Amino acid sequence: MVVKHETKTMTGNDAASYAALYAKPEVIAAYPITPQTTIVENLSRYVDEGKLDAEFIIVESEHSALAACMGAAWSGVRTFTATSSQGLLYMAENVFWTGYGRLPIIMPVVNRCLAPGWNIWPDFQDSMAFRDAGWIQMYTKNNQEVFDTTLQAFKISESKDIALPSMPCLDGFIISHTSGQVQLPTPEDAYEFIGPYSDPIIEIDVDNPWAFGAMTGPEQYSKNRKDLIVAMERAKKKIVSVHKEFEERFGRSYGNGLVEPYGDDVADLTIVSLGTIGDETHEAVDRLNEEGLNVNALRVRTFRPFPEEDIVEFAKENHKLLVIDRSASFGHAGQLGIEVEAVLKRNKVDTPVIGIIRGLGGEDVPYTKIMDDAKESLKG
Amino acid sequence: MSNEKNTAERIRLDLMIEVIQISRGGSGGVTGAKILAEAAMYEGLDAQAIPKYGSERRGAAVEAYLRFDTKPIRVHSPVYYPQHALVLDASLLDRIDVDKVDKDGVIIINSNEVPESLKGSGRTIALVDASRISRELGLILSGFTLVNMTMLGAFVKGTEIVSLDNLLKAIENYWGEKRAPKNMEAAKRAYEETKVVIA
Repeated sequence: MVVKHETKTMTGNDAASYAALYAKPEVIAAYPITPQTTIVENLSRYVDEGKLDAEFIIVESEHSALAACMGAAWSGVRTFTATSSQGLLYMAENVFWTGYGRLPIIMPVVNRCLAPGWNIWPDFQDSMAFRDAGWIQMYTKNNQEVFDTTLQAFKISESKDIALPSMPCLDGFIISHTSGQVQLPTPEDAYEFIGPYSDPIIEIDVDNPWAFGAMTGPEQYSKNRKDLIVAMERAKKKIVSVHKEFEERFGRSYGNGLVEPYGDDVADLTIVSLGTIGDETHEAVDRLNEEGLNVNALRVRTFRPFPEEDIVEFAKENHKLLVIDRSASFGHAGQLGIEVEAVLKRNKVDTPVIGIIRGLGGEDVPYTKIMDDAKESLKG
Repeated sequence: MSNEKNTAERIRLDLMIEVIQISRGGSGGVTGAKILAEAAMYEGLDAQAIPKYGSERRGAAVEAYLRFDTKPIRVHSPVYYPQHALVLDASLLDRIDVDKVDKDGVIIINSNEVPESLKGSGRTIALVDASRISRELGLILSGFTLVNMTMLGAFVKGTEIVSLDNLLKAIENYWGEKRAPKNMEAAKRAYEETKVVIA
């Protein structure tokens, strides 16, 4: 299929705003926080200029922002917000309520570390704190992927067989405020790809009143959570199929949508990472290969649901994994490293895993540093 | 990050070109970098403009970085070993480690004359009195002389990474019909007045 594209120079936050604009959400409620602010500034401007026919609800906090989105989502309309860091923490109660309530709200999280010390730079501690909240989480490597992933998120989350919220994650500043080139489809093509949100699993209907959030006994409660586990499992297939449909229509892809392998199929060392470190790793892999070192890479694009099968398949064929985390579970290790080790163990794959933590609070992780870490890992 | 090839050769060899910019908060440096990235896009290049955020405020030194490549850019770090340096305020020159700037690169400075610290260095310097040009055109906001568009004209003259036409197109696109003419005029005048000298 041949589609019309226009390439523009824009920041990663602009790319997220364009995806939201093209998806035509009916309700947006948001509260500004660095480095997310420009996403909702753009959207409020689109609404003001009449480019976007949405209800833009101005609220006094992030907690209220998500609460307003929840109400809107319950009424069966497409809903969008965005946040970062302390703002995401302030939303916490409603983040879990949204996930466990199966409300398909799309909320880019512009990753920024958590205080103290006061710091506006990126790491993944904020979104990782919500890995168990029942949200789909996809980590992006550049501005283009922010647009593509945010657009795909609407189609994935709003499917009736999924009904889960999505958190496209983008590294604060490194993506959010850096200008780069983004290929945009026409608004019509983009909207046609995701279609209207026409079949919600829950819809407030004043002619047919229901109680929401009522007391739920253990039997029903555990059934609901088990449904959520199953929906997450289904979401894996949905992410792959939506990603494939996107590729056929727009000609861009990121591995299979769950993981993005890079380099040779088999290597002495595989570098596994998330976000822009994954992009920087591609540069490191090429340079290591030029030096005669046998290294490849696997970027985990989808962290929730966790792509167990893909990681296991890749690890099985390879000799050693170096997992780079940009966050920590204090008292244990980096979250990605922990989970990679867990799925290998569960599947009886004995490929050794080395876990390291890099880039906290915006600490720079240049490809030279990744090359050094890879060389060190090859030795041991 | 290698420093051994000049701009034309780097583009021919598909090598990345990296630039450091230093300006004062309020003078439009971040906007300028973004417009330059867009101009490079019109040139058919992949380009990145990275503003360095932190405790930036009016009058403080603000760094930004640019990358240009014929291939998609996969590097996201700040620029440590630039080919060129763009200095929007000559008094901030000492904030840049000139030794890390490619010796065959160009240092573009908002000044009439080669700064004392670079005299006899053998470095290629592009000089223009951007502050005067901007003042003459009335490009002043809240007491700050906006030298960003003016210095882009000098950058284009000094480095030839993008053409003047593509720069003007990017400026026009950013500022729109009403505000573009003055900004385009600033870039054009700087382009004409920039002198490239060996210090």
